Amino acid sequence: MATALGSIAEIDRELALRRVDPDTGEPFQRTSVMTHLAWVPSEWVEAAEDVLSGLAERHPSRTIVLVPDGGVADGLEAEVEVDCFPSGGERQVCVETIRVRLCGARAGVPASVVQPLLLPDLPVFLRWRGMPPFGEQPFEELLDVVDRLIVDSTEWPGVPGDYERLTEVFDRVVVSDIAWARTSRWRPHLASLWPGIAEVRRIKVEGTAAQAHLLAGWLRSRLGHDVELEHEQADKLVGVDLDGEPASLPPGESPDPADLLSDELDRFSRDRVYEEAVRAAV
Amino acid sequence: MTETAPKQEQENPLLEGLTLRRTPDPCVLVIFGASGDLTRRKLFPALYSLALRRLLPERFAVVGVARTDSSDDDFREQMKEAVQKHGRDEFRDEAWDTLAEGMRYVATDFADDGGEDKVVQVLNELDEQRGTAGNRVYYFAVPPDAISTLLREIGERRSSEGWTRMIVEKPFGRDLATAQELNAQIQQHFDESQIFRIDHYLGKETVQNLLALRFANGIFEPIWNRQFVDHVQITVAESIGIEGRASFYEQSGAIRDVFQNHLLQLVALTAMEPPIDFTADSVRNEKVKVLRSLHTPGPKHVVRGQYGRGYVEGEEVPGYREEEGVAADSLTETYVAAKLYVDNWRWADTPFYVRAGKRLARRETTIAIEFKRAPHPPFEVSDEDAGLRPNVLVCHIQPDEGVSLEFAAKVPGQGMSLRTVHMDFLYGGAFRTAIPEAYERLLLDCLLGDATLFTRADEVEEQWALVDAIVGFWKRDKPSFPNYAAGTWGPGASEELLRRDGRTWRRH
Repeated sequence: MATALGSIAEIDRELALRRVDPDTGEPFQRTSVMTHLAWVPSEWVEAAEDVLSGLAERHPSRTIVLVPDGGVADGLEAEVEVDCFPSGGERQVCVETIRVRLCGARAGVPASVVQPLLLPDLPVFLRWRGMPPFGEQPFEELLDVVDRLIVDSTEWPGVPGDYERLTEVFDRVVVSDIAWARTSRWRPHLASLWPGIAEVRRIKVEGTAAQAHLLAGWLRSRLGHDVELEHEQADKLVGVDLDGEPASLPPGESPDPADLLSDELDRFSRDRVYEEAVRAAV
Repeated sequence: MTETAPKQEQENPLLEGLTLRRTPDPCVLVIFGASGDLTRRKLFPALYSLALRRLLPERFAVVGVARTDSSDDDFREQMKEAVQKHGRDEFRDEAWDTLAEGMRYVATDFADDGGEDKVVQVLNELDEQRGTAGNRVYYFAVPPDAISTLLREIGERRSSEGWTRMIVEKPFGRDLATAQELNAQIQQHFDESQIFRIDHYLGKETVQNLLALRFANGIFEPIWNRQFVDHVQITVAESIGIEGRASFYEQSGAIRDVFQNHLLQLVALTAMEPPIDFTADSVRNEKVKVLRSLHTPGPKHVVRGQYGRGYVEGEEVPGYREEEGVAADSLTETYVAAKLYVDNWRWADTPFYVRAGKRLARRETTIAIEFKRAPHPPFEVSDEDAGLRPNVLVCHIQPDEGVSLEFAAKVPGQGMSLRTVHMDFLYGGAFRTAIPEAYERLLLDCLLGDATLFTRADEVEEQWALVDAIVGFWKRDKPSFPNYAAGTWGPGASEELLRRDGRTWRRH
């Protein structure tokens, strides 16, 4: 049964206990390349767990899953987990996951909970599920402690209008958008149509709204002229027409969500092309 | 009014920010020695892994050439089984089918009249069918004595279209004279940029990580020199025997099989100066300077050995002279250790102890940099009394790829007791993607024309010059073999090599 922990000290103590193999008394080999924060409102918990389960093995990190629950009495309810993976020979490497339910007013001040749990000197990534509450305290606080914000604008209800607020944080934090990553097979493919694509004026995208607006914004910003967008809703990006002519399909298969998030965790620098695509999508 | 350049001439703005992979030109890979072990165990599994990741050019073909009679279909079937058995990736029919579609087999012997015509005919057909544009990579997975004929025939019949590259397996010659002869033959028909002398150690991720460790970190280079380093130990240990390769091994021994290439390349990478960039010539220029400055102080600083009967992992194994195909009085060495010096400003008087051998206690390739002790520890108990070891930075090339640092730490409790502890970085722990096989990297680099991880003619010749000096020592006396039991760490004389300098090999 998971242990409910009510303070940072208790979390630290429990982590220390779990870093030792109970059978041999030997410490586990711990590896971390980053702290990965995930802000997961309760409606996103299931989806987030699916993605995280595929991620820990590829990106050994300390993962801190924050579940805000403002409607109950103040407090922290945390549990920790140490997962070990084989790493050649008989060795194993272990990664830590800390799940923290931020109850009551604590949900409004997450940075004070997160700061003592960050791994020193390593980059901090924040995966924000759903639409970030731009301008509100929890989001603004966390932005100040992270190096990179990862969103999936496919989860947002009102693109392209929602992008307006996103552009305001570009100078504060590096932003990754999984919706943009989902267009990564298509962009080199469309680029390969140069110079024929240079004068395109109309694009029809069959995919999510985010993908459609980002692709149109990308073409507008790169080509330097307006490109009219027609969007046909689909769960994933399955087709693009340019001036009424269907483009051929790009090679390869669509990556799964864990792969997309994993790829974003490999990037550290600001993506100016994405930022310009977002501005042009608005 | 300003004129606008036509779109065709403008830079493609859609490419900005895209991480585009370089794709090799269309080409045909011709493998001489296609029925051999290397092709089955390494080359085709590597080609399959590249195909699976879509790293091969779309217009690509492989021609297997060997003396054994076989058909295209049989060749495909044999290689499919090899990939399923030896490949690191899950077998997927669609990836294999794409590769197999471009596979051909030619049964021929280049020593026969017209043997080479059969290959040329198939290559011309492939150029037409698959659009490979006359581009060729020839892989010589054949014994060294077969290479001369192949070079001559290819040189004389090379296509007038496209580019030609050649991958030559080790050993490149069997001494300095034969290596120079081979280089001269190559230069009759080809230039150095077309030759890719393969040493698969250089394709290993962890060998390349040595360069990252040294040159991407600010903290190591300032102490990577004679002022701070007491000595360096490089070990290339195998627990396996000769695995049925008696005819090859009887001719080469440990000094030609491993010391001349893998081991000296590790010395070069460890001792080299920082290159100005990571281009082929910059890296190789620095390596060759090290190889040129290497010497061993004399015969008593080189040890050779041959394994006798013993136990490896609890199983009794035969001695070298009992292996099938090995002469009962063979004097071939299966172990070599040496003290080397790098005569330059950075390393003067700093010994590099190196050893390589078969049937040793465990498989392990490591580079250990042992630092000088702290000049004046202020504790009551001396380092030696406390059992403290000097600081050692160990690069684990294989297995357990990674880096570890040994340093002293206080034992918790009253007083000041000290103990040596390890800080380990496991390569596979921080990077959870599977490590590509060395042959994948090297084949792809050759297809892309990047020779950084291949050895240049002058490097090979410098390596042979040192080997010739050692072999020259050995001609003066007859060793008493076998002199170490299988499953141990080599002959006693190897321990003595360090002991007389007041040092010991690292404990494993």
